[in-house]
Amino acid sequence: MSSWIPLWLHKLGSPPTFYRFAGKLRPWMLALAIVLGMIALYGGLVLAPPDYQQGDDYRIIFVHVPSAWMGLFIYGVMAVSAFIALVWRIKLAEVVAMESAPIGAAFTLITLVTGSLWGVRMWGTWWTWDARLTSELVLLFLYLGVIGLYHAFEDRRQGARAAAFLALIGIINVPIVHFSVNWWNTLHQGSTVRLFGPSTMSGSMIWPLLTMMVATKCYYAFSLCSRVRADLLALESGKDWVRQIAAEESAR
Amino acid sequence: MSQAPLGRACAAVLRRDLTLAWRRRGDIAMPVLYALIVTTLFPFALGPENALLQRIAGGAVLVTVLLAMLLALDGMFRSDIEDGSLEQLVLAPQPLALMLGMKILAHWLTTALPLIVIAPMLASMLQLPSTVIPVLLLALALATPMLSLLGAVLVALTAGTRRSGMLLALMLLPLCVPVVIFAAGALAAAQQGLPWIAPIAWLGAALALALVLAPLGCAAALRIALDA
Amino acid sequence: MTVSAPPLLAASALSFYRQDEPVFGPLQFELHPGQLALVEGDNGSGKTTLLRVLAGLLHVDEGELHWRGEPLRRDACAGEIIFLGHQLGLKGDLSPRENLRIAAGLHGERDGQDPARALREVGLAGYEDEPVRRLSAGQKKRAALARLLLVPATLWLLDEPYANLDRHGIALVNRLLERHVAAGGAALVTSHGAVSFHGGEPQRIRMHA
Repeated sequence: MSSWIPLWLHKLGSPPTFYRFAGKLRPWMLALAIVLGMIALYGGLVLAPPDYQQGDDYRIIFVHVPSAWMGLFIYGVMAVSAFIALVWRIKLAEVVAMESAPIGAAFTLITLVTGSLWGVRMWGTWWTWDARLTSELVLLFLYLGVIGLYHAFEDRRQGARAAAFLALIGIINVPIVHFSVNWWNTLHQGSTVRLFGPSTMSGSMIWPLLTMMVATKCYYAFSLCSRVRADLLALESGKDWVRQIAAEESAR
Repeated sequence: MSQAPLGRACAAVLRRDLTLAWRRRGDIAMPVLYALIVTTLFPFALGPENALLQRIAGGAVLVTVLLAMLLALDGMFRSDIEDGSLEQLVLAPQPLALMLGMKILAHWLTTALPLIVIAPMLASMLQLPSTVIPVLLLALALATPMLSLLGAVLVALTAGTRRSGMLLALMLLPLCVPVVIFAAGALAAAQQGLPWIAPIAWLGAALALALVLAPLGCAAALRIALDA
Repeated sequence: MTVSAPPLLAASALSFYRQDEPVFGPLQFELHPGQLALVEGDNGSGKTTLLRVLAGLLHVDEGELHWRGEPLRRDACAGEIIFLGHQLGLKGDLSPRENLRIAAGLHGERDGQDPARALREVGLAGYEDEPVRRLSAGQKKRAALARLLLVPATLWLLDEPYANLDRHGIALVNRLLERHVAAGGAALVTSHGAVSFHGGEPQRIRMHA
């Protein structure tokens, strides 16, 4: 049935192989995330010049914008693995999709919180129905729906499949929400101050931003590896390879 | 031996659900009553000032109708799962998506249609100008089937779970945001005397798409949820 | 050519897992037209699950199922299989007659059969228009059995058909099965009680090998 999937992918898709692979990848990803994150923060908070209009307040974008990108990026990863899980019934894809959801939700929450903090300084209020913030809020609800549905089932694999289906519906919904919220915002003449406009951004602002983007991706990879490993052990607790690992761990 | 023709099967499902709804007509009245109660509460909360009520009337009626539909959504497949009728429907030699489409149609007829019928009354309770009421009806006529269709897919997904009421609302919110925006946008435009056809056209296009895709999605979701 | 017809339903190395715990299997059996198979096993041995897998309600995890020699596909055998589970699939607010009309609408009717006649045959004459929820458990079962008579299907999958039935009801199930098998149909029946079947020795499928 799944014979035309490349062999290496098929091999990596087997829980024991992925468990070992993720175990090797994990420390590297964490180290990269910390180092790059530090560099980006130094670049963003110290080296980059203050904005002529917003002063130092704008510096929150070095957290806010990469988080917003990650919120969307992780939703994309989740939807792709959800698709793979539904079509080829690969257990690993189910696990990746379901373990991505909380990480993505966390990044989306960070985006909302930092956006709201910035809003206090800029608009003088904790919450504005700005098109971007509203879209992020809807994205958070999409994540919460997926997580909630996953946990509503007694059978975890069945829950994963149902939630994967919901994630796919959501990915169709994301651009529609974005488009409609933008339209709604222009209709109601909302706020016009942009956190991250198409305006000029100097190179000294852009490189910390891009570095932070890579750092968050590494953190995501680290976090995903850890979560998937734990989940695989729980899901496959009856299998021989898990017993073997348990024996190795206790012998240490 | 004869296979049942498709038209007859559709009619059988539709007739069954309508008969069942008729036998429990008290349940049909519940969403209507709920919408009436919520609408009554608005003036108490906001004050009986006509200008203010008029401003919020369109959106308030829309959200009220949506919540009232959500109330009834949970039960769309509930009893069919409990008594095994849904299994029989899945095993029938008919395209499941079409049969579910008939169930969704029956559900819309029994929950949304009564709400649309009383919508003008709710709107006039909140002082919506009578010239806007046709637009309200048009928006509801397009938005409520959307909600029934989208809701059906989500209800099907939660079919295998025990508690689903709040979860359903959480899942439906992101999906109904665009529907609410466009329906309310049309109303707001009509109230300001601006052209309102564009958002209505968008709603219509989305409904056409949902009419085709949602029953298929509903069937797929149900197969996942019943796989227990 | 003297190639014998392929079996109606054949299972090879059929297993089913729930959360990686084996529920049953591996199972191996063939069911030919005109054959009755009894699925035997204790409570919790996976009899109901097996029937749900065969009906196509559950996904086959391991092993293969063949329908008339071809790999089983849902659309290929649709309408040829009828499933009667613990949940009878009757709407409590509708009468037996209305319930049967829906079944006929979905599955079609056997020639010369109609809801009233089927209900008479299962001993529900006089209860045709009573809401199903007012019937006794045994009467509900009979109403569900009437669906077997009304609807054309080659393979019957019956989960505990004798449950809730009195002596006459049990005889009725046996009579229905004998007639169905004699007419070239096949049936798979789960039961933990003894079955007195007069149409030849049934095949036995043991859930625990």
